[in-house]
Amino acid sequence: MSSARPMVSGAAATAAPDTAPPSDSKPRRRRARARRGREPLHVALLWLGPALALILGVVVWPVVELVRASLSRYSITGLRRGDAGLENFRQVLANDALDTVLVNTLVWVVAVVALTMLVSLGVAQFLNKDFRGRRLVRWAVIVPWAASLVITARLFTLIYSYYYGVLNALLLKIGLIDTPIDFLGSDAWVMPSMVAVGVFVSIPFTAYVLVAGLNAIPGDVYEAARLDGASPWQAWRLVTLPLLRPAIMVATVLNMIYVFNSFPIIYTLNESNPGFGHDTTITFMYKLAFKSAEKDVGQSAAAGLFNVCIILIAVLAYLRITRWRKES
Amino acid sequence: MRVISSWTAGAARLGVFAAAVTLGLAACSGGTGAGSSSEKATKIKLVAAEYSKDHTKAFWDQFAKTYHDKTGYTLDVQIVSWDDIDQQSSTMVQNNNPPDILNLNAYASYAKDGLLYNADEVLSDSVKSDLLDTFVKSGTYDGKLYGMPDLSSARAMFYNKTLFKSAGIAAPPKTWAEFEDAASKIKALGGGAIGYGLPLGPEEAQGEFSIWTFNNGGDWKKDGAWTVNSPENIATLTFLKGLAGKGLTQNNPGKTNRQDVFDLFASGKVGMVVGFSPLAATLDEAKKVDYGVAPMPTSQAGSEPKTFGVTDYLMAFKKDGNREAVKAFYDLYYQKDQVNTFIKAEGFLPVTKSGVEAFRADPALSSLGTYLDTLPNAQLTPTDDPAWDRVKLAVQQNLGTAITGDPKTVLDKLQAQAEGK
Repeated sequence: MSSARPMVSGAAATAAPDTAPPSDSKPRRRRARARRGREPLHVALLWLGPALALILGVVVWPVVELVRASLSRYSITGLRRGDAGLENFRQVLANDALDTVLVNTLVWVVAVVALTMLVSLGVAQFLNKDFRGRRLVRWAVIVPWAASLVITARLFTLIYSYYYGVLNALLLKIGLIDTPIDFLGSDAWVMPSMVAVGVFVSIPFTAYVLVAGLNAIPGDVYEAARLDGASPWQAWRLVTLPLLRPAIMVATVLNMIYVFNSFPIIYTLNESNPGFGHDTTITFMYKLAFKSAEKDVGQSAAAGLFNVCIILIAVLAYLRITRWRKES
Repeated sequence: MRVISSWTAGAARLGVFAAAVTLGLAACSGGTGAGSSSEKATKIKLVAAEYSKDHTKAFWDQFAKTYHDKTGYTLDVQIVSWDDIDQQSSTMVQNNNPPDILNLNAYASYAKDGLLYNADEVLSDSVKSDLLDTFVKSGTYDGKLYGMPDLSSARAMFYNKTLFKSAGIAAPPKTWAEFEDAASKIKALGGGAIGYGLPLGPEEAQGEFSIWTFNNGGDWKKDGAWTVNSPENIATLTFLKGLAGKGLTQNNPGKTNRQDVFDLFASGKVGMVVGFSPLAATLDEAKKVDYGVAPMPTSQAGSEPKTFGVTDYLMAFKKDGNREAVKAFYDLYYQKDQVNTFIKAEGFLPVTKSGVEAFRADPALSSLGTYLDTLPNAQLTPTDDPAWDRVKLAVQQNLGTAITGDPKTVLDKLQAQAEGK
């Protein structure tokens, strides 16, 4: 059936000129058809060239360099000393701190993304309501997103500070604690403190993706739900949430990637802690190259390639579990 | 399905073409860059660390102008913050594009990799003989001077006179026992007073530990062998851990950086801290804390106090045709009116014999007397050993863990790392 159709339309097309007045319209139309079908290669290249050059220069080239670096032996100065084979990968896998770093990464990504999604669902609902000053609130929510991450992180080191921090002063004042908490030095507190900042900076983007999702839900489905006697909670759970699913999934995937790759927050808040105790794979990779006793560009590049694999696998696994394709 | 496969085929073809174009461009740009190899360089590049926002750039810009006027060579100046300079220099070497002159706190690994000129090649005899012997020693790798010192600093004990007076401490402590006693008395004042600010966090743990252990007869290396886990060093680290355990230091000293301790001292909460001349400059400007500077206490009564000296380096990379320009750079930098002006503006200490004399003669610098006396005998870390460049990082990343862990275990591990096991 489907293979027959083009033949019919093709026959109609060839038949059409016979009924039309005899003119030079026939070859012109053919040329038009050919042009629509496929442009010659050089014309296509002209249009695609800039984009391709950009992709090659910005995406492909660095990857090639990264792979080359991961297979090379480097001196501490950065001088290339020859091929290393897979030695760098072996060294990274043999690193004593690797287990800690992987657990930290898992905790960091899962906690930040989950909490961000939870809070953002609420924030998005709120921003979607019509109230006086909504525009102002919407702008205010953007601020943490617009501010540079390094500056935000630096600000939080002041807020968290043991001696001068606003947070400790506040908690002491309202009598919640008797002695200050070392938010960035006590092993129990460092990760929760970093997660809080991670959530804080991830909310704006997530909330806006969800607001867009909410706006796309037509009003009549709520009307139908109300007519069928659904309570507000039921309407939200049975109508809003399923219809918001594509937006939630987009926000989750993008957040997973952003949060996994987040460097400034962890690096800045964790600055005064020695060793790899609170590092994720991203700061681990940086310290391998420049700060730790390894100081080895090759190992760092190998760790970088592992990072790419980890996040790809994590995202694919998430999409598989949530059956992304069925929804789209 | 077919659509996709034909699209991929097309994309692959385009990709090959575009790759060829890119490679062609890369080849072209590579060609122009390498073209001038056999000629004499008329332009050299300096990558310098930023000691201060106010003075570093101003000095080097002025220097570049004088250099151009006097020699005809052009000096391209790039100032990099201390946070980024390791990364930047490493990247430049990786890309086979090092600067002609690099200002850094390490040089031996670069000398070992054969990247540097030695003093015989680029330093005039008059300049070389003017350098302080301590720094010539620390800048010498394998019998030749590669690490030309740009400036130096020496550490001493800063104490808060107001807190000392309130606590009834008559004079700065001379021994570790007196020191501990003083710290306890300050802590006993209450109101958040801290006896001693101890920074063993990753920023500069090796510096803090060095000055303490030097005053206990310890060192990193003795007679060419690593002594990281020597009994003296273990005793020193145990003593510092003990201070933390008794609550005589600020909270969590293993995770406190030097700058944080300086800030605490500047707020007037801390009784004592190991500082250097830039800290004095900050305190003088703020005029908040009435402080004194004293030699470090020693573990045993009657032994000579030692100071810990630090120098940074200006090293020169071997590149085709740049030797004359580099030599002219050093000749100008070590002129009295250049090197001393720079060091004075940044608040550090001289590296030349003539500089020490000039500083001593300058009434405005009378407060530096303590440092100038001790400078020629200052003890340094083994910067002349390329292995130290790695050991230093290991120390920075691990020493602080001894505050909650076992000092001997931590130092044993560092010793093994130093010996390359």
